[in-house]
Amino acid sequence: MGIKENCRNELRAAVRQLSDRCLYSASKWAAEQLVGIEQDPAKYTPSHTRFQRGSSSIRRRFRTATEAAFTSTPAAGVSHVTTPSVPEDDNEAIDNDFYLLAKSYFDCQEYRRATHVLRDQTGKKAVFLRCYSLYLAGERRKEEEMIELEGPLGKSDVVNHELVSIERELSGLRKNGSIDSFGLYLYGLVLKQKGSDNLARTVLVESVNSYPWNWSAWSELQSLCTTAETLDSLNLNNHWMKDFFLAYAYQELRMHTESLVKYENLQGTFSFSNYIQAQIAKAQYSRREFEQVEVIFEELLRNDPYRIEDMDMYSNVLYAKECFSALSYLAHRVFLTDKYRPESCCIIGNYYSLKGQHEKSVMYFRRALKLNKKYLSAWTLMGHEYVEMKNTPAAVDAYRRAVDINPCDYRAWYGLGQAYEMMGMPFYALHYFKKSVFLHPSDSRLWIAMAQCYETEQLHMLEEAIKCYRRAANCNDREAIALHQLAKLHAELGRSEEAAFYYKKDLEIMEAEEREGPNLVEALMFLARYYKAQKRFEDAEVYCTRLLDYSGPEKETAKSLLRGIRYEMDVEHPPP
Amino acid sequence: MSGAAAMPGLSKAAGAFTITPHKLSICILIQVYAPPSQTSVPFPFSSVAQHNLLGSFLLSLTKSSEDIFEPKLDELVSQLKEIGGVLNHWLSDHLARKLSSLASPDDLFNFFNDLRGILGGSDSNVMDDDQIILDPSSNLGVFVRRCLLAFNLLSFEAVCHLLTNVATYCKESLSTYELSHFDDSDSDTEAPMHYENMDLENLVVEKVNKEIESRYVVDDRFSFHNHAPKALVRADEDRDFSPGPQVRKINKPREVSACASSSCDVSDSVDSPSGDFLRTNWQIQGYLLEQADTIERQGSSFPLNAFESVLKDLLKLAPELHRVHFLRYLNSLYHQDYHTALENIHRYFDYSAGAEGCDFVSSSSTGCNSFGRYEIALLCLGMMHFHFGHPDQALEVLTEAVRVSQQQNNDSCLAYTLAAICKLLSEFGVSNMRGLIGSSYSPVTSIGTALSTQQLLYVLLRRSLKRAESLKLKRLVASNHLAMAKFDLTQVQRPLLSFGPKASMKLATFPSNVCKELRLSSHLINEYVDEASLMIPDGAFCTQWIKNLKKPKGSVIFSQENECRNNTDAFQFCGQPCSIPGSVLQLLGSSYLFRATAWEFYGSSPLARMNALLYATCFADSSSLDDLALAYGKLIQYLAVFKGYKEAFAALKLAEGKFLSLSKSQIQLVKLQLLHDHALHTGNLKLAQQLCDELGVLASSVAGVDIEIKVEASLRHARILIAANQFSQAAAVARSLFCMCYKFSLQVENATVLLLFAEIHKRSGNAVLGIPYALASLSFCKSFNLDLLKASATLTLAELWLSLGSSHAKRALDLIHGAFPVLLGHGGLELRARAFITEAKCYLADSNFSVSEEPEMVLEPLRQASEDLELLEYHKLAAEAFYLMAIVFDKLGQLDHREEAACSFRKHVTAS
Repeated sequence: MGIKENCRNELRAAVRQLSDRCLYSASKWAAEQLVGIEQDPAKYTPSHTRFQRGSSSIRRRFRTATEAAFTSTPAAGVSHVTTPSVPEDDNEAIDNDFYLLAKSYFDCQEYRRATHVLRDQTGKKAVFLRCYSLYLAGERRKEEEMIELEGPLGKSDVVNHELVSIERELSGLRKNGSIDSFGLYLYGLVLKQKGSDNLARTVLVESVNSYPWNWSAWSELQSLCTTAETLDSLNLNNHWMKDFFLAYAYQELRMHTESLVKYENLQGTFSFSNYIQAQIAKAQYSRREFEQVEVIFEELLRNDPYRIEDMDMYSNVLYAKECFSALSYLAHRVFLTDKYRPESCCIIGNYYSLKGQHEKSVMYFRRALKLNKKYLSAWTLMGHEYVEMKNTPAAVDAYRRAVDINPCDYRAWYGLGQAYEMMGMPFYALHYFKKSVFLHPSDSRLWIAMAQCYETEQLHMLEEAIKCYRRAANCNDREAIALHQLAKLHAELGRSEEAAFYYKKDLEIMEAEEREGPNLVEALMFLARYYKAQKRFEDAEVYCTRLLDYSGPEKETAKSLLRGIRYEMDVEHPPP
Repeated sequence: MSGAAAMPGLSKAAGAFTITPHKLSICILIQVYAPPSQTSVPFPFSSVAQHNLLGSFLLSLTKSSEDIFEPKLDELVSQLKEIGGVLNHWLSDHLARKLSSLASPDDLFNFFNDLRGILGGSDSNVMDDDQIILDPSSNLGVFVRRCLLAFNLLSFEAVCHLLTNVATYCKESLSTYELSHFDDSDSDTEAPMHYENMDLENLVVEKVNKEIESRYVVDDRFSFHNHAPKALVRADEDRDFSPGPQVRKINKPREVSACASSSCDVSDSVDSPSGDFLRTNWQIQGYLLEQADTIERQGSSFPLNAFESVLKDLLKLAPELHRVHFLRYLNSLYHQDYHTALENIHRYFDYSAGAEGCDFVSSSSTGCNSFGRYEIALLCLGMMHFHFGHPDQALEVLTEAVRVSQQQNNDSCLAYTLAAICKLLSEFGVSNMRGLIGSSYSPVTSIGTALSTQQLLYVLLRRSLKRAESLKLKRLVASNHLAMAKFDLTQVQRPLLSFGPKASMKLATFPSNVCKELRLSSHLINEYVDEASLMIPDGAFCTQWIKNLKKPKGSVIFSQENECRNNTDAFQFCGQPCSIPGSVLQLLGSSYLFRATAWEFYGSSPLARMNALLYATCFADSSSLDDLALAYGKLIQYLAVFKGYKEAFAALKLAEGKFLSLSKSQIQLVKLQLLHDHALHTGNLKLAQQLCDELGVLASSVAGVDIEIKVEASLRHARILIAANQFSQAAAVARSLFCMCYKFSLQVENATVLLLFAEIHKRSGNAVLGIPYALASLSFCKSFNLDLLKASATLTLAELWLSLGSSHAKRALDLIHGAFPVLLGHGGLELRARAFITEAKCYLADSNFSVSEEPEMVLEPLRQASEDLELLEYHKLAAEAFYLMAIVFDKLGQLDHREEAACSFRKHVTAS
């Protein structure tokens, strides 16, 4: 229990220190993790542990063998270094009084007042809070100006005017060494906004190395690691917080497996952390394991019914599974909790989309975007809605905005491709499909879309289409479209051997999944003819006989085929 | 785009006249100019002339206030200084004091309230001569009214912003201008400091300032359509700050009323087309258009990074101004950055749907459908692939463009696309259409798969021309005529029907057709003689409409004034409105360039030279640098052929200096060609081979692209092999070259290759085998009207006959004499020398000819030949000439002369 106890103590201190410095979201995060650590059942009454019990049983149900292996050896490999906690600076009582006043102002969102109260203070805490509240004041002014200055030329690039002075002060402090890790975090934030990413990274690394419990610093650092190389080049001290960071960073770099391993590892200690559960759900969602995601979210909602974060993803899952009532229930719940959250609007948009009311859906996505202009999935989803409404230029615009916010969003690239294909510009669309496939090469749907593009009447580049279908077939194509198409294309190109191979494979899968349909008949028919032409009459006969089970013209064809087979068999091996 | 949220740039477009600190300054000055007092010469002015001076200065300021760049306060102050005397000191002091006294929003309100007072009432027809009242409908009056209106529309927040901007505006000039004696205690209160750097104009000016610095180094001639940057440039250069042209002009005293009324007319006529549009957006668009023009003209010598950073800044400031993406595309396109270009062109069309720009409103032929105009995207993408030398992708995309334009009934786009396909087919060697276009649906193949590429090209050209004519796309018609002329020059028209009765068709090119097409193409300029037809919006081809768009011009007054002062700089920044559009000039110029090429083919060197010269002198300003380099290259080559290498290299050096910045330049090609020729003539084969290889590397590796360079490299390679006496290898090279030319149906080149075969056989001593090749080449030349090449083939034929034995000398001589007019009139030094030597040889071989009787018959041509060859430094041939000369002198018994010739002979033999 040593590790858990350690973490608990560290987090407890961190929550206090962070909220003392008004870094509320970081302290929220830390507190969540603190509660996420499995309680010692000896110390707590059953009523406390009950809800934890329930959740772990659900979790265990979905735990695979490998996961179990990880959790059974909790974080043994890495010897974690505990950083000595930051000593509270003991200022004089008067200073402290000023600090208290400033903090109260800050809590009432009167940032400039808070700055003013602390104007002559020199303590590290006071300096930090002064700069931080100044920064927030600037941010607020920036947002206001954004609206005020929305002129003919947009001019949305309003800058926070406090950045310069804050940077000047903090860089001076950093030079003479009198800056603490929180100051470094703020410095990094400012540098990042000013666009000096490299320095920002260095500063943030310094910050998290000296004080690892500030999750905000970690997430800023993550946003600066856009490639795996930069991530690897970071010089980070070993600490359990680093695992949280790495897991998150891996996820954002679309290294989902690595991320999952990390999270499952962390679950050994933080077995009841909602955060980790949600992150696992996110990773599973990217792997399209919808069933698991749904279970996780149900569990999450049971434990934390007023949670809105990440619920848009849950709504996406419900959308994909077409659960009308569940989605409406979710929408209602978030609406009651906080209707002016972008996530809430997005969920409502999803609901209307599922209902086929695309105008309303667009309205809610728009609202979500008004609340957060850089809300990636809302842009993409809105693009989907416009596609449904056949308003392709608007769809293209929406998708393009998503792509410009995050060029790695393969869904939006895919949407762009789709929109252009709809407009009868398959060659133009290929550019976008290529982009999306490049970003997410393990998704069979993307490959299939690209193949269909090549296959269109206008392009008719069948060789390329075959290549794409082959890639699709290799990456777990659930609907088995690729195999069927491969078989068909090969047959069209007169390569009956390959065609037979793929038809057979397709047939096997259909048999295994007990699917019926025209594809099955088609496969049987081709194989029957193929084997007949190959003079493998026994095989041909088997397929023909199976065809006889179906009604329609196929049955007649099968009959005549059978007759032909019998005849040829007789000719070759005349009955004695 | 359906929603306003996604495109705030368009929704909030109207009423974009915004108050800026600069306009505020103008208002302050106007207030000084026309105070509500009653005296004829108000307080600070000592004379009417001085007063009028300020008036006309203000007039020009209001005229230029619509420019994209606004001058800073210190610039305005320094301009004020030019008005002269003690007065300006008072004026600038007053201005600064007034500006810095604006400390609270209420001050601004009061200021504008006062400003209203200087306007006369509507019944101002009863005017006292001595009284100064601003006529509300005069130029200044309108300006003041617009300012008042714009101020009244401002929200409180916006007034606060204006206040901050004014503070920034003043603060910027503080560093240069002494304001110490002013009471500025409350000029920078705490609040305005948060809005530092808010002003778009100020930011842009800063950036442009940077850009100008960088550009100024590159191109001195570069200009803007306004004066402010000019002033900036001067300041940056730290030259003696001469007064701007506009200010000097003002020295002429003029009646204010006359001035106002006359300029009112000007402004009415000028402002009417753009008056209803949003100004600021319009201004930036105008700036972008101009930049686009410049990029297209200057090509790779345009400063890539400097402009890119300007664009990036612009993009940050105005994220809804999508044309910036197009400019970024153009910029990277001309700097051969494929990936960036591809990214940006897609981004541009994703955002704009091809519907951005002012043409969208004006083109009523297609109607604004909700579909967007993505066919233009396809067309541009096709042109991009064409530019980068990807014929397959280009054709695929253009085919799609044809299909989508047909679906969308966008006829003009279709016409342009067809023209683009024609250009593609004629530029790139496309040997097999069917392999290229996979689709059976394709309109290109649907014309008939039985047709050859050339026939297809012909059909497409005709269709495109017809379409362009019916749509009245004048430029397109002109360029189609040019393409047609090119086709007529190099290709024989064959019957299109592969079955049925065939009309007897002469398989030859018709120079008259070429001439006709060229004339028709040049008709374009007639359309623009009439100035009224200037504004016709023309189709949807992006580069075309970008050029076509009328530019905003705030500085019309200045430019007109400058014209009469004959200032070259000024001429450039006023040029656009009153002259023929640049694109038309460019087209016209290319027809002259084409004429030069055509005459090269037909073998008239003086005409070719003349046309190239004409192009280089008359169209240098409007043409792209690449075309200009081509013309220069031609001229240099003419020099080399007719005057020898020394002069050519001297000219080349000049040209290299001029086109230093072009990356893949024609000049580079010419340099290699010249060096190669020189090396070949002086007998430095190793160097020649090396140069030839370098030449080959210039061509793209894609099959069918840059064929001309590839053909030339092979030809040169074969020539080196001949010079090295490796005939079988030379023949092998020639054979593969012939195959290539046949595959891509390069008929003209085929004639050259056949002649090369004849040459190889001649040199290897198989004259009998050489004669058929020479004859074949001759017949090719005849049907393509290649007169000079024909003469050269005749010469080779004569040489072949001569080498068969002295019995054929007479025949050879006849042949040479037949070809002499062309050879001597239009042939280069080498050709002439060869003809002379062969003539002399014929005489010498002729048994009926006696040297002693008519020595000059032999000596004269030999002397000529040796002179020409010495200019050319062609040692091998020169040695031959001197050898023959020595023999003749020997026969004549002139021993001194013989020794002299022998000496020269030795010199050349050892040199080679």
